[in-house]
Amino acid sequence: MTAPAGEAWHRLSPRMLLVHPVHEVLRQIPLLIGSVVLGSATGNPMWTLFGLALIVGYGVARWFTTTYRIDSQEVRLRTGVVQRKVLSVPRNRIRSVSTDARLLHRLLGLTVLRVSKGQEARGAAAFALDAVEAAQVPRLRAILLADSLAPAVAEASAGRELARWRPSWLRYSPLSFTGLAMILAAAGLVYQAGVGAALQNSRLAKSGLDAAERFGVVASAVVAAVALVVASVVLSVLRSLVTYGNLELRKDADVLHLEHGLLRVREHTFDMRRLRGGTLRQPLLVRLFGGARLDAVMTGVGEAREASLLLPPCPLATAEAVLSELIARPDAVTGPLRGHGPVATRRRWTRALALPAVLLIAMVALYPWTPVWLWPALAVLTVCCAVLAFDRSRALGHRVDTQWLVARAGSMDRRRDCIAAAGIIGWTVRQTLLQRRAGVATLTAATAAGVKGYRVIDVPADLAWSIAATASPWVADNDWARTT
Amino acid sequence: MNLVDPAHPPSRKAPLVWAIGAAIPWLLLAAGQVVWFAIDPRLRWVHALAAVVTVLGIVVFVVVVPLWRYRVHRWDIDAKAVYTRTGWLVQERRIAPISRVQTVDTERGPLDQLFGLANVTVTTASSAGAVRIVALDSDVADRVVAQLTDIAAIGAEDAT
Repeated sequence: MTAPAGEAWHRLSPRMLLVHPVHEVLRQIPLLIGSVVLGSATGNPMWTLFGLALIVGYGVARWFTTTYRIDSQEVRLRTGVVQRKVLSVPRNRIRSVSTDARLLHRLLGLTVLRVSKGQEARGAAAFALDAVEAAQVPRLRAILLADSLAPAVAEASAGRELARWRPSWLRYSPLSFTGLAMILAAAGLVYQAGVGAALQNSRLAKSGLDAAERFGVVASAVVAAVALVVASVVLSVLRSLVTYGNLELRKDADVLHLEHGLLRVREHTFDMRRLRGGTLRQPLLVRLFGGARLDAVMTGVGEAREASLLLPPCPLATAEAVLSELIARPDAVTGPLRGHGPVATRRRWTRALALPAVLLIAMVALYPWTPVWLWPALAVLTVCCAVLAFDRSRALGHRVDTQWLVARAGSMDRRRDCIAAAGIIGWTVRQTLLQRRAGVATLTAATAAGVKGYRVIDVPADLAWSIAATASPWVADNDWARTT
Repeated sequence: MNLVDPAHPPSRKAPLVWAIGAAIPWLLLAAGQVVWFAIDPRLRWVHALAAVVTVLGIVVFVVVVPLWRYRVHRWDIDAKAVYTRTGWLVQERRIAPISRVQTVDTERGPLDQLFGLANVTVTTASSAGAVRIVALDSDVADRVVAQLTDIAAIGAEDAT
């Protein structure tokens, strides 16, 4: 084998000669259909073969035209059959290396290797080696991260396991809406493809309608709803199992390894020195069953597309234990929070009850024409809103010391953000007209990590700057600070 | 602990520039309504309603809002931090340490150039933490930029 950091241009794994053509054929299906149509229309099958050969040839050419090189300063990737492109990433800017193996890749023992710079410029192409042999991945990862993470990789120990997926975690997944979303997306796709119009006059639809009439409309609707719910639950559980099965979270000195997936295996490597905290997220339905998911707050890793996910919905105790371990401050993760007082509570109630109040006024105003069944519906809505207001006001809270800022809020999607004070690079105190009159303010801590801005909602206005100053001493050390 | 408000108001010309900036779209709308009335004068009450809405909009956005914003907008810089107050209905006070500043940009729109104004944007590594000082006199803006780039060791570290 050649020297790993040699200055030579390397090619991707030769096995990609098999994968590229297959991917190309799948991607160019319209072109393929076109050539088949042309072939049958002209009565000359050579057209079809020619189209196929062109696509396969393009796939093969991709392998010959893709090369990468790792030298002492930067890594470079040259791609493109027709339009040549060179991507280069300075080695000391590499913040994380992630891998991803789809089914076809796994069958051939291949892995896609992605290099992330931490702060991704918008619209910048990702640096991905698609694909290298799986056996080469540890070596390449060590080389790529050697500059930015020298000591950690040098140890190359197996590290300590923080969490491992358990089948019992699946109990949180039936309650997510992913299954329903998948069904709706599939239905939309089928309908758009013109199947809906074809179905309308088909015998299948007619026999279905006949059956519905025989059973009665209500019974059929109930059966359909139950079938939908069952299908949605099954899909959600399956998706969760396939995506997060075998999840393992490991910590080696300065590096965090996350590996998950049954069919498509994904692996993320995070630089612990970029970690600025963590977020415990508890969507309502997960929270009811005592679960939580954990997101890393890390420089250059946003919440979009679950890039920051460390643990999928799992028991709250597990998520809290892992976060405590990561930030080494159990009190920030589980400690009691300081509430935001009666004004904040009142504002939650006013907001939640505004909608029922408006509806009530409208219904009273139109009294003679209001259908009778609307009244119990309004009562149910009011109770739901009241419960929401109660839960939201109970959630509000913060905790601050010289090292950590903790903020909790929300009911449908409750989150507890734990942010390292050292990572906070700016503060905003925001007051709407109503907030000024009520004497509260929303404090936002700006950081380069995660979602960039973390909010402490409706704190008493005279407390806002004290919270900021506790976490960031520079807020109190300037020309404008006054101790009152 | 509390922070007093920053000391310096924006340029005296700021309300005028904001008013002109707001007046342009509103006057276009008013002109459109006049044309509409000339073409099709039926439905008087619709025209009256539209006229009332337009006049209210002009009064609020061309007269009230610029003056209100001028009363609220303040900025200040000391050796360690940039501090601003902005807004009208929703007011924001924002502070960022100069040691974490990444770039200092000056920007002049067409109206700003006409009246000799400039806007200074101080960015940090967080998109939620950029501080904007708007509608400064050009010479003040230049001084601010010089002062900020002087204090901030821009590029010394990645400031995250």
